[in-house]
Amino acid sequence: MTPLSRRAFGTAALASVLVGCGGAASEPASAPARRTRGTRQTGDRSADATANPARALGRSAPVRLRIPAIDVDTPVIRLGLERDGTVEVPPITAHDRAGWYRHSPTPGEVGPSVVLGHVHVGEFGDGVFRDLVRLRKGDAIEARRQDGSTARFTVDSVRTVAKADFPADDVYGDVDRPELRLITCGGPKEGQEYRDNVIVFAVLGSTSP
Amino acid sequence: MRRTVFSALALTCTALLASAAPALADSSTPSPVPTRVAEDAASPVPSTGPADEAASPVPSTRPADDAASPVPAERGQVAVRPSGAPDTGVADTSSGTATGGLVGGGAAALLLAGGAATFVVRRRRTHGV
Repeated sequence: MTPLSRRAFGTAALASVLVGCGGAASEPASAPARRTRGTRQTGDRSADATANPARALGRSAPVRLRIPAIDVDTPVIRLGLERDGTVEVPPITAHDRAGWYRHSPTPGEVGPSVVLGHVHVGEFGDGVFRDLVRLRKGDAIEARRQDGSTARFTVDSVRTVAKADFPADDVYGDVDRPELRLITCGGPKEGQEYRDNVIVFAVLGSTSP
Repeated sequence: MRRTVFSALALTCTALLASAAPALADSSTPSPVPTRVAEDAASPVPSTGPADEAASPVPSTRPADDAASPVPAERGQVAVRPSGAPDTGVADTSSGTATGGLVGGGAAALLLAGGAATFVVRRRRTHGV
């Protein structure tokens, strides 16, 4: 075999190795792991938590959310629905923000106001709701609204549930007082996804002005 | 020889004229009248009316929303109940993996093709084919 042929063989061999690597690298993205079913719940959801139900407010979109217990102070954007009918989530950016689901009541209105945030935003690191699971019953949550008023909520319970068993009725179902739902992901990672959702249930404590 | 040169010249001129024709067609006669005529033709209301109607439909966003709403029938406090669970976490696996794989694969395929071609040429030369 001449030196040139040998070089050609070498190039071909190197190329095939590279092709192999490329394929292997892209595999995890295209083959997400299958979810295992099951529900692990921390915390309980006692119906009547703390507060004497405060005066309900009129409709006004939230603009900022503060949760002192876990150092959250974030602007709030508006979210809608994706084409597949799932709820829209905040964009994956370095400056992660929380988002209010605009088809739900605003914080302070009677009904379950739904606010979502990421626990992790891929290459950008931790999301705005990274420590949501650490909230405990009695912790305070403040939602500042577009009309200048503030609705202060008190955490009632924190639940970690498998996404496959998402408790839609508990989260989106009607209630007879102003309540707040904070939702993020949690539990073990499976591929690029988290297996569970962490849901914080809170009730209105007071309002101002 | 001269005939060849003339033929080439004629061919070039024809090609130039052919390509210039559309450009010339635009500015036919520079008389002031045609512009007014064009304006008049464009002015009647109907021409904008239908165009507006055709372009206006809001649906591009609305239907998407409506189609997406899985529980539109009874309106509870949550007017449109989403389906499934929110996907609020993107784990740490780098998003550049797929792109990297693609680039790597492309480069590898190029190298492979080059190597194979060199090998074939070299072999042919050796065998004197």
